[in-house]
Amino acid sequence: MRDLFNVGSTTLLVAVVLILTVLAYGLVRSRVMSSVSGDARKLHSLPNYYGYNAAMLTAIPALFVLAIWMLVQPMLIQNAVIDMIPQSAVNEGSSVNLVMSDVRRVANGLDAAVQSGTLDADSARDMDVTATDVRALLAGTGVALGSDVTPEVLAAAQRYRSMEVTGRWLMIAVISVLVLGGMFIALRTARADFRARNTVERFLLGLLVLAASLAILTTVGIVLSMLFETLNFFRLHPWQDFFLGTTWAPNFRGDSDLSILPLLWGTLYISFIALLVAVPIGLFAAIYLSEYANNKVRAFAKPLLEILAGIPTIVYGLFALLTVGPFLVKVFGRGEDGLLGVDWMSGATSVLTAGLVMGIMLIPFVSSLSDDIINAVPQSMRDGSFGLGATHSETIRQVVLPAALPGIVGAVLLAASRAIGETMIVVLGAGAIARISGNPLEAMTTITTRIVSQLTGDTDFASPETLVAFALGLTLFVLTLGLNVLALLIVRKYREQYE
Amino acid sequence: MKDNVISETDVTTHKTKIAARNVQVYYGDTHAIKDVSVDIQDKTVTAFIGPSGCGKSTFLRCINRMNDTIDICTVKGDILIDGEDIYDSAVDPVQLRAKVGMVFQKPNPFPKSIYDNVAYGPRIHGLARNKSELDDIVERALKRGAIWNEVKDRLHAPGTGLSGGQQQRLCIARAVATEPEVLLMDEPCSALDPIATAQVEELIDELRQDYSVVIVTHSMQQAARVSQRTAFFHLGNLVEFGETDKIFTSPEDPRTESYITGRIG
Repeated sequence: MRDLFNVGSTTLLVAVVLILTVLAYGLVRSRVMSSVSGDARKLHSLPNYYGYNAAMLTAIPALFVLAIWMLVQPMLIQNAVIDMIPQSAVNEGSSVNLVMSDVRRVANGLDAAVQSGTLDADSARDMDVTATDVRALLAGTGVALGSDVTPEVLAAAQRYRSMEVTGRWLMIAVISVLVLGGMFIALRTARADFRARNTVERFLLGLLVLAASLAILTTVGIVLSMLFETLNFFRLHPWQDFFLGTTWAPNFRGDSDLSILPLLWGTLYISFIALLVAVPIGLFAAIYLSEYANNKVRAFAKPLLEILAGIPTIVYGLFALLTVGPFLVKVFGRGEDGLLGVDWMSGATSVLTAGLVMGIMLIPFVSSLSDDIINAVPQSMRDGSFGLGATHSETIRQVVLPAALPGIVGAVLLAASRAIGETMIVVLGAGAIARISGNPLEAMTTITTRIVSQLTGDTDFASPETLVAFALGLTLFVLTLGLNVLALLIVRKYREQYE
Repeated sequence: MKDNVISETDVTTHKTKIAARNVQVYYGDTHAIKDVSVDIQDKTVTAFIGPSGCGKSTFLRCINRMNDTIDICTVKGDILIDGEDIYDSAVDPVQLRAKVGMVFQKPNPFPKSIYDNVAYGPRIHGLARNKSELDDIVERALKRGAIWNEVKDRLHAPGTGLSGGQQQRLCIARAVATEPEVLLMDEPCSALDPIATAQVEELIDELRQDYSVVIVTHSMQQAARVSQRTAFFHLGNLVEFGETDKIFTSPEDPRTESYITGRIG
């Protein structure tokens, strides 16, 4: 807490910048008002815009530089300090990075010691391992170290500290110049004919562009990171086996069969069953809600249906594992004790279990999208059909649904891409056995569950058994992306019809 | 106003096709049609005119019970077609609408081919026993709709690709394909340009030979051109009903005269 209000602490710096920002707002607003002797109609823009403009000039460059500075400074310091550590100081089985984290810890420990008063600033700077037991001293301030501090580490830590302090003061100086400079420019431009409103408008545009490009850049970043790891994987494992082999048998001692086909089969099979459940039920629900239900029923039933969409998928997974799975076993398994007297199903996890529950999860997805699309079919179509003596269901079947069909196909494809990417339900409901089989009562596994299992536990990010997760993820991504693009294309084509 | 009348007004000999008696329509609490009684003759074009919101479209939609599709709408009174009460519980509104065709304000072809648009009604009502009979029905309807020559080479092109006037004539063809006895038209030309309007008006005049046509219009010139009888609605009341000539030349009610001369409306 004390650290928070230390001179030079970032929090305090940001607080000062914000206070000056508010000050600039008030100052410029009142100045521009007094320049027209209080008659706001003589201003180009409303008085608040001058204030906003001043606040922007004060805060944005300063905060922007601050953010960059905080990212860049540690990197620069690290690069400067890392040269001080000779190769000999790096122990067997360790790395420079581990030593660097020791350096940082010692530096933080010295900071803490100075702050709590155990050390004064000068002795922290000039301390020597031969004279002081640094490890014990730091342990006293709550910083535990794994080994004794070597002279190199201590020297590096001391340098680290001094550079950090210098950097901090430099940062404060630069930020102050930016803030005061911004305020100065704002005050200079605070004249009645200054087009503050247009400047604010441009700023808002910039803000929106920034948000949009951040979202896009993130997507690109995700794809690239997956792509590089995937390339690493294919350097270690033949791509022919990955795409065309038929066995999935990862073995952490090496020499694994890592083929996507059994997983892809499980994924598609489960998604297919899910769509078999979700599409008819969702579509019929949408038809009822949009065509037949009166306003009262609609107002009550639609939110209720959409609650299904808000249930976390892990809860669906539990439902699959604890309710649906055992029920299916009761029907299809247990031999003479079962409801059908057959013994086709042995465990609660199966393609059918996961597919049914995933289908339930997708119902609101299909129904809500289809409902919107059916509602978008112009009433004049229905009137035209009624006017020719068609019944309600004839109208729906022959006019409304054909008109809405492209949109509904789009909705189904979006649901399919959800189903393919779904994880928790299949982790709990589908089982973990990779196989290609047509029997829906058998356990199978999917791409997503295998990604989870390959990356959990102790993993070494250099073995093909771990890296295969990225190849699987990328394949999945490409698959769902393809489906989404297809769905969007279809939906867009449909929209053009009535506009 | 009467310079381009196409029809003669020798209509007094026709029998009554639709008889409305004391019809009241409510939208929730709003009293939209107040005690309207009117006799509409067979093989005649009857025009409903009046300012916006006067209830003429509402009354038109009572004749084929299209108002049934609106939840809050209630209709009281009797409407008889050929002496049969269409609001009787024994009457199936779906069957009724096959007998009383309707053309809407905005052309609303289905997103299907031209052929399928016209064949829609006959298919639903099972009017054709086989494909060639259906072809005949479609051809006849398109000819009645005065659009056959324009579309005969592209019957399987989408109906939505036609121009506005063609679409409206397609909708008329679609309506006559089910062999209705009455044809209701709700401002059929309001979305059309003058040339398409003229074509549709000519068509309406031809249709009079077989059907009882009721047309709602905002254009008094159109009412004068195509109709033999005119009803003037105002604020939910039927103000005046009679021969078109008489309504436009010597209206009895001062409100009718004010509307026709442009003082109200």
